[in-house]
Amino acid sequence: MSYFRITLMRSGIGLPKRTQGVLKALGLRQIMKTVFYPVTPEVAGQIMKVKELVAVQEVDRALTKEELKAERRPDPGFYLESAVPR
Amino acid sequence: MFGAFRPTNVLSGGLLWKIPWRLSKFQKARQRKRLRAVDTVVAVVDRALAKQGIMTKAVERWKEEMPVEQEMVPKDKYTIFDRKEKKYRKSIRKLPKWTRVSQRVNPPGY
Repeated sequence: MSYFRITLMRSGIGLPKRTQGVLKALGLRQIMKTVFYPVTPEVAGQIMKVKELVAVQEVDRALTKEELKAERRPDPGFYLESAVPR
Repeated sequence: MFGAFRPTNVLSGGLLWKIPWRLSKFQKARQRKRLRAVDTVVAVVDRALAKQGIMTKAVERWKEEMPVEQEMVPKDKYTIFDRKEKKYRKSIRKLPKWTRVSQRVNPPGY
């Protein structure tokens, strides 16, 4: 089962109500919001309606909210060493 | 000649629009980038659907009617048809929301 990973890159402000409605239906409320939907003709049609505003990838599984947050977390620049067993 | 009430073009002539007709090279580069981004989205959707053997009207129609960025002539990338303009062309930036709408084809012959 593959999924579309859809990220809103441009705002829908000022665009026709139909376009804004599609963004709302997809759950894209603000830019850089990412949502996952299975690959179906219905979702494909919705993406085509807002294709100028989104970035799309095909992925194998939908990530959870926590996984998405972990993806955004920058590299801390250090690591904790474990004590050497004596 | 100097001072607050000097006769400049704006003050003496009334309405004076100083919007350049042509896009700068940077604006043109960004325009091409946006066109390619839309092409990428359509290609990704099309490939994902093709893997499952699905055909969608929206994607098929787009592929049939719309040229990709590399196939477009510069004239169509940066200007649009307008019957009221001299030489029937005006800068694409006159199109409302031009960075967020797809405007790729113009009447043949113009």
